[in-house]
Formats: sequence, C-alpha cells, structure tokens
Amino acid sequence: MADVRQEPTIGSGRIKGLTIVKPIIYGNLARYFGKKREEDGHTHQWTVYVKPYKNEDLSIYVKKVHFKLHESYPNPNRVVTKPPYEVTETGWGEFEVIIKIYFNDPNGNEKPVTFYHLLKLFQSETDIMLGKKSLVAELYDELVFQDPTPAMQQMLTSVRPISLGAYKHETDFDEKREKTNNNLIAAKNKIRYEISELNERLKFAKQNISKLKKDIAQIEKVDDKSIISLIPQ
Amino acid sequence: MALGSDVRDILDLETPDKDPVTKESLMNDSKKKKARKSDINSKRPEGMHRELWGLLWTDNKDSPPLVPSDNSQGYKQMKAKIGSSKVRPWKWMPFTNPARKDGTVFYHYRRVADEGKDYPFSRFNKTVDVPTYTDLEYQQHLHDDNWTRLETDTLFDLCKRFDLRFIVIQDKWDREKYKERSVEDLKERYYNVCNTLKKVRAPPGTEPKIKVFDAEHERRRKTQLTKLFERTPEQVEEEDNLIAELKKIELRKKEREKKTQDLQKLITAADSNIDNRRTDRKITKKKLPPQKTKEGVSNPETCGIKFPDFKQSGVSLRSQRMKLPASIGQKKMKAIEQVLEELSIEFNPMPCEEIVQNFNELRQDIVLLYELKLALANCEYEQQTLKHRYDTLRGIKTEVNMDVTPSCLPSTPIPGETGVSLLSGTPIGVSSTPNTPLIQVTESQDDSPTLKKGGEAVDVVGNADSLTTPNRKRKAAIEQNNLLKKIKQKP
Repeated sequence: MADVRQEPTIGSGRIKGLTIVKPIIYGNLARYFGKKREEDGHTHQWTVYVKPYKNEDLSIYVKKVHFKLHESYPNPNRVVTKPPYEVTETGWGEFEVIIKIYFNDPNGNEKPVTFYHLLKLFQSETDIMLGKKSLVAELYDELVFQDPTPAMQQMLTSVRPISLGAYKHETDFDEKREKTNNNLIAAKNKIRYEISELNERLKFAKQNISKLKKDIAQIEKVDDKSIISLIPQ
Repeated sequence: MALGSDVRDILDLETPDKDPVTKESLMNDSKKKKARKSDINSKRPEGMHRELWGLLWTDNKDSPPLVPSDNSQGYKQMKAKIGSSKVRPWKWMPFTNPARKDGTVFYHYRRVADEGKDYPFSRFNKTVDVPTYTDLEYQQHLHDDNWTRLETDTLFDLCKRFDLRFIVIQDKWDREKYKERSVEDLKERYYNVCNTLKKVRAPPGTEPKIKVFDAEHERRRKTQLTKLFERTPEQVEEEDNLIAELKKIELRKKEREKKTQDLQKLITAADSNIDNRRTDRKITKKKLPPQKTKEGVSNPETCGIKFPDFKQSGVSLRSQRMKLPASIGQKKMKAIEQVLEELSIEFNPMPCEEIVQNFNELRQDIVLLYELKLALANCEYEQQTLKHRYDTLRGIKTEVNMDVTPSCLPSTPIPGETGVSLLSGTPIGVSSTPNTPLIQVTESQDDSPTLKKGGEAVDVVGNADSLTTPNRKRKAAIEQNNLLKKIKQKP
C-alpha cells in the first residue's frame, strides 16, 4: 500500500507533494480465565497491540508507542520502544486505551499520532465465555505521511521484513476491503438513483406550484374585479 | 493674624511696592519655584539597568525622596489669599445706554478704573436689517394682486418691530383691517419682497444671494404635522397594527423567497450529482480509480457535508478523514446513520483510500437525498394548500365542484412525461409514517427491488417535520381565514 504519487519537489525541509502510506493494524486479544480470579477479581488476560499491516519492521521509523491504560492500573503509561508493540495485562473491565505513536524524526518535525482503541473482553458467544477461544478485536488504519522530511522518507522507504515466514493477521482485511468497497459503490449508485428520481419529482412539483399560483392569481384578479363592480358607486 | 500690611492700611500709610490684586495673585501660590539642583551625579552607575535608571531620573533629575515631599494642596481648590493688598474702589456714577435712542441717564456702581467707558452690555442689542422700499420700487417690482401696499407696509413695520419673529407678527396681525394671513403667507410675502429688492438693487452682472423660502413645502409640512398631532388613539393603534402586519408580510415573503432559492440550489446540486454519476460510471467501466478520486475532489459543491481537506504536511491517520465535521446537525447525522443501517454499511468502515473516498461521497449523497426529501415534502405540502385554495376559488366562482382527489395533481394539463416520472418516483415517498397524509402522495406502483429499500431509508417526516407541523397548521388556518374573509366581502 505504500504508494508514492506525483513527482516530489524538495523545499523547506519537507518533500512537497509526496505521500507515503503505511497501513497498520491495532486492536486487542483477550482470553477468559474461565472464572473470576480470587486475589484481584480479574477475569481476562488481554494484549493490546499495534503492528504493521505488511511484513515490515516498524521500528525503523517508529521511535516508541505509548499505551495509556485505565488509571486504576499501576503505572498506566506503558511505553514500548521496540517491536512487538504490545502490552499484556489482566483485568475485569473494558476501557479505552489511548495509543500514541512517536516517530523517529531527528528534528522532531513529525508530530506523534494519537488514536483510541476500546479494549474488548466480552463477547456473547458462549464458547468464548468458556475460555476456549481467545477474542480478537482489531482494526485497520493507515498512517498517511503527507510531505515527509527527507530523513523520514529515507526511513519509510527502506523497510525490511520482521519475520521470514508468512505474515498473517487474524482478520482477512483484503477480503474485507473488497467487500466494503463493493457495498459502498452499490449503495452509492442506489442513493444517486434515488436522488435523480427525487430531483425530477421536485422539479415537477415546483412547476406545478408556480402554475397553481398563476391560476390562483388569475382567479383572484377576476374576483377582485367582480367585487369592485359590485360595490355601489 | 495682623500682617504689617494691614497695620499700614489702617494707618493709611503708602505701600508703593504692592501690586494691585489680580486673580493670579489671589489664587496662585504654587509659583514658588523649586530651586533645581544642578545635575550632579546624573550619570548612570555602572551595571544599573537603563530602565531602572530612567525611572529614577526622568522627573527632576533628582534622587527619589525618602519621605513624601509633596506638601502642596494636591487636587484641592487653592485657597484665595485675601487681604494682602489694596482693594479696588467702586463708585456710584451715571451712565447712558447706547442701545437706547432716548439717551436716558441711569446710575450704577462701577469700578473707578472703568469710569467714562461705554456701557458694556449695549453690544448685545442686535437689530435685524429689514429692507425698506421706495414708492417707485414698489410700483415697479413689488406689486402683488394678493397684497395691498398698505398691508405690505404694515408687514414690514411689524417685521422691524418684532425682529422677524413671525409667530409674534402673525399674532399682532390686524385681522379686522386685513384678511387673515398664516405665518407662511407672511413669510412668503416678506421674503419675496426682500429677494426682489435684492435682485433689483444688485449691480448689473452680479448675482445677489437669495433667501430661499418654499412656502408650499412649509404649508404641507405643517398640515402633516397637524394631522400627525391630531390622530385619535384608535388611529394610532390601527397604524401600529398595520405596520406590524406589513412587517409580517414582508418577513413571510422573504422566507418564501429563501425557500425557493434553497430549492433551486438543491436541484442544481442534484443535477450535478447526476452528471457525476454518469462520469463515475464511465470511469468504473474503464477501471481507473485514481482519476476518479481526483474528480470527486474537484466537485465540492455536490452536497451538504464539507469534509476537511487534508493538505497539511505531517502524519495523520486515514480514519480521521472519514470523521463527520461537527457543523452538520443532529438530524442529518441521524438520517445518515439510519440510511447506513438500512444499507447495512458499517459506520466506521475500514479506512483505506478508496473506501474513505467512497464512504464520504456516499454520505454526502445521503445528506443531499435527505435535503431533497425535505424540500419535496415542503413542496408537496405547498401544492396541497394551493390546490385547496384553487379548488375553493373555483368552487365559489363557478359553483362547480372540481372532482379532484387531494392526492392528485390539479386539473390543469400535466405534461405526460413528468406525470409519469412523478408516479415512478414514489418508492421514495415517505411511507414509514402513515399518519401524515400531506406527504403521502401516491401509491407505490413501481416495485423495482433496488429502490424499495432505500425508499424507506430516510424518514423525513419523523425526523424533521414534527417540529414544523404546528407552524404549518397555523399557516393553513390563516389561509383559510383569508379565504373566508374574501367570501364575506362578496355581497
């Protein structure tokens, strides 16, 4: 997905017109203990993570990833400086994890990116409740580097794979993308068809209204005249 | 406190060195000039900041005092020092007032120093220069059929006597001898005479300055004022009512105009949307997604949502570009959600470039659709009202009941093509709320499956119109009322 568009022009510390896209996956795994733990009441073990969509090493351009957990955790600010960017904990409740990605930019020109992930632990299916299968809640997103600095560009383009083996995700995002897009296009056509229909009707209604108005004005004019003629001079 | 000068005064001794009292000497004691110290030590010590030095040394180049040093009276009024010098004597003396013609002698007290000077107040006796005319001038230029010579003379005499105070002149006008004249009549005659004289007397070649008096205008002005003054309370009230009504009418008119404008805008938007769709289709056939993206961007006026442009340098998340701007209202937001749900599309789909693009466009279209629906509902309502009115008018006129069902279009000829399109467009009709007959226009005759679902997607009435209905009812009532009035008017 890291596509490079347009001829970049170099100026004022940034390469204008260059856009580099790095897809990422973020989310969490969760596993149910099967019961409530005696000592602290925790019910699940979970791992919240950020990882590249493609098989490449994020650490070349990512300095650190900051996970901010719920205040009730001891030391809620967890900073991970090298892959895998993840935090594993146990707990009993869902909350919003604040994830902040800092970049490896020598001059600090690239600001960190912040996003939120709602930690998911519970699912209605009984098999997950029984701890048989761990739950995955992950989302796809893209880091869009608009006009990166030359240093950043260097890092972004010289990536190397993390693992030698096949690199896979729990969710098949390619398929999902295809499906979503098709859905969207179909929906769009449908709506546009309706718009054109409505538009025709609206135009017609408008015509009709002006016609009616004209007719009424005419009748009223005649009426007025007849009224006037009835008034004794 | 007996001063030496007092003693000398009592003893009538000469004090030649004393100046006579002046206001200055009485009031002013701050003249004591402070002996300024010479600029010793006016050099800034090494290392002291310039600002600090400036604070310390600007005023009088003196080091700041340790105790408050201002022993003058501050803002208080200076006390007059009395009794330190000789008084100026007054004297009882006769005087004549030059403003008086009779030279009568009066007496008053005056300073000895002013003895023999003119009476100072005589200069306030201003007189108006009222022109006079000779018999010849009158006969040649000033004749007026409406005014006799005697009358004119009297007028000028009065003008001189009362310094052109025309109200007084009119009051003193001899109504028994001459005919009744209004202030304007008097003024008109006076200024006419003055102007004519000026013109006649002006040396040839020069243009004299003319006093303009528009008697007609003055008369009108006064009648108007009188009328305004003499209004009865009922009349005032009626006027207020009428003004209020007028305002209301104008407001309504504006509203209507705005509505039509909005409608036109919507139609244009929808039209351009259709064009868009055509190009979109072509492109999808050719499978050139990148170009399509650009085209979508270059068509910002297509719809109701303005997504922020991400032109700024830096890193951002793609998903940020799908965020709805806060400027769109709750109702629209709800409508979008509803349609998305109907279409079974996620609220936050996977954010890759193409999807974001399509998703944003889709939502723009949904908003447009929503607005079109609102507009159509309004239009159809208006159509109904007009129709009703039309029918009533026709009914009155011809005593013939036009047999038209309310859901149909008026009996005026309809172009066939559009009529069909109206019917075929019905799936979009608001069928989800059956208790609002106004918008339920037609029966569904078209059952193309693609449309059906979307047709119920936006519930215009439920969302938006519930707020406006009372208003509408009122409007309708007003209309009815007007109609009744009209009927009553007919004898």
